[in-house]
Amino acid sequence: MKQIARIISIHAADTSGVCSMLYELGGMVVVHDASGCNSTYSTHDEPRWYRQDSMIYISALTEADAILGNDEKLIADVTAAAKDLAPNFIALCGAPVPLLAGTDFPAIAAEIEARTGIPAFGLHTSGMRSYLAGASEALEAVVERFCAERLPRTGVPSANIIGATPLDFSVNGAIESIIKWLNGAGFELVSCMAMGSTPDDIRRASAAHVNLAVSSCGIATAELLRKRFGTPWVAGVPVGERFPAMLASALKTAAETGECALPCADRDASGEGKKIAIPGESVFSGSLARAIELDTGVPCRVLCPLEAEDRLLAPGDLRIFDEDAAAAAFAEASGVIADPMYAPVCPPDVPFFRLPHEAFSGRCYRKESLNLIDRPLPWRL
Amino acid sequence: MLKLAIYGKGGIGKSTVTSNLAAAFARLGKKVIQIGCDPKADSTINLLGGDPVIPVMNFLREHDREPERIEEIAKTGFGGVLCIETGGPTPGLGCAGRGIITTFSLLADLRLFEQYKPDVVLYDVLGDVVCGGFAAPIREGYASQVLIVTSGEKMALYAANNINSAVHNFEDRGYAAVRGVVLNRRAVEREEEKVRAFADANGLPIVADIPRSNDIIRYEDMGKTVVEGDPDLDVSKRFLALAQLLLNEEKASA
Repeated sequence: MKQIARIISIHAADTSGVCSMLYELGGMVVVHDASGCNSTYSTHDEPRWYRQDSMIYISALTEADAILGNDEKLIADVTAAAKDLAPNFIALCGAPVPLLAGTDFPAIAAEIEARTGIPAFGLHTSGMRSYLAGASEALEAVVERFCAERLPRTGVPSANIIGATPLDFSVNGAIESIIKWLNGAGFELVSCMAMGSTPDDIRRASAAHVNLAVSSCGIATAELLRKRFGTPWVAGVPVGERFPAMLASALKTAAETGECALPCADRDASGEGKKIAIPGESVFSGSLARAIELDTGVPCRVLCPLEAEDRLLAPGDLRIFDEDAAAAAFAEASGVIADPMYAPVCPPDVPFFRLPHEAFSGRCYRKESLNLIDRPLPWRL
Repeated sequence: MLKLAIYGKGGIGKSTVTSNLAAAFARLGKKVIQIGCDPKADSTINLLGGDPVIPVMNFLREHDREPERIEEIAKTGFGGVLCIETGGPTPGLGCAGRGIITTFSLLADLRLFEQYKPDVVLYDVLGDVVCGGFAAPIREGYASQVLIVTSGEKMALYAANNINSAVHNFEDRGYAAVRGVVLNRRAVEREEEKVRAFADANGLPIVADIPRSNDIIRYEDMGKTVVEGDPDLDVSKRFLALAQLLLNEEKASA
């Protein structure tokens, strides 16, 4: 059946992406949805929920509010809460009911900003797109508002990491490993958007020589910074043993030339023969494919079930829109590296290697999550 | 780009005013898009010689997919006016307001404005601002000015007042502002006096006074606007004058 998931999971929705991206930035995130839905957005998909404060709220939208167009109630509630909390910003986002009612979040945000004096923005989430769309729009909105000033470049080569959320990287040391690798490659970190950095770090983003987009949800912000400050960007995640050196070299070249690069898609999966199938987010999966090919010589193909620009995929990679397509691609593969929730649609004679992805299985396999950054890959392929 | 939304009571002549205005802009050499935002989907028919365009909602229903090209849901009418109709759901079912929002979202995805590069966009909107969908044409990025069409009839003025209040309610949201009133005469006793009283009470100018004219009906029977049929008629000149006024204002503010 087309675009149906009967057996496997689906990826976290855009609203989860917003909550995850903005979690650490001191902003107030208000999801206009029914009471109780916060556990969907911020508990099941959010490893930081129980140990790190945040300001993520649900508006407790009722049927009557939706039918009657009670936008004023939302505006008044958010305004009152914001006066107590004094957040750095206010982000409003929707869910399926506001989508159907046609709620105009940018306009409501303008009213809230006028009343509170706090920067507010409305995001076009609906629950109908993946976490990448929400995370991307949320980060771009923050950077659009807070990174307006062109700062002098730092004395030593420096970089921002853009597009980091636990939905793609969990909280297993992977981001710390990327920072350590970046430092080892000769780059000082300006900010990591948006794990482990403060809003002030992000305000200084224009001081970086180059940006590293570690997920496709970082590309729009990287492009914004390129257009605004001329900062080039490179897309990739330093996984495996040999690919990190290649990625470091791409970063240095980009910093020198000002040209962007996509080492994660600098592959060719269109050749004959069986390949390892890697379904997932395009930048990470592409980087992993490249790393496996470099470290082992085993050919790989990315299966992309999420939003991704064409330039993030290599020839021969495949967009998959439902589990039937995933199953068909798995049946042709020499092996599958994927979240354990893909396993039921992998034929028994095709080796399956578990790689938990929080955006797909939430906290179910969190204890198994792997840090693949700058180290030998754990599988015998 | 001049972007106007035309509101008014059902049956008051919004589509007649809008399509004549579109034809007038076209006669003045402007590239025009007219988007009918009414489930009846008859806003643009007199720009198209009586041969209607397939409404977006009908396209979705018949093809079970979204349009991939603007040409699939648009037709070019008199003077090169690009005609689009949102249409509506199956009568008695679905949600017409949501249909308008969906259509606007589709048109944005198809990059209508970027591709067509219009000078003027006209939104012809169903009778009243009944829900969020029908306010969509005045949201930021769509129309920046509203024209309210009314006659001197009591219920038409009542609707005009509701529309004006609704638009005022959105003042803080960066929505469109009411530019003025188009008096579409219906041979009501002391008609101008009544409409002027409404306009003055709300601080609005009457930007056009359209006489009751059999010529409008005669040309509509032929599937034309009167501006297309005979631009030298007095009634046509009223539409041309309104178009010129709005263009002059836009030029002055640019």
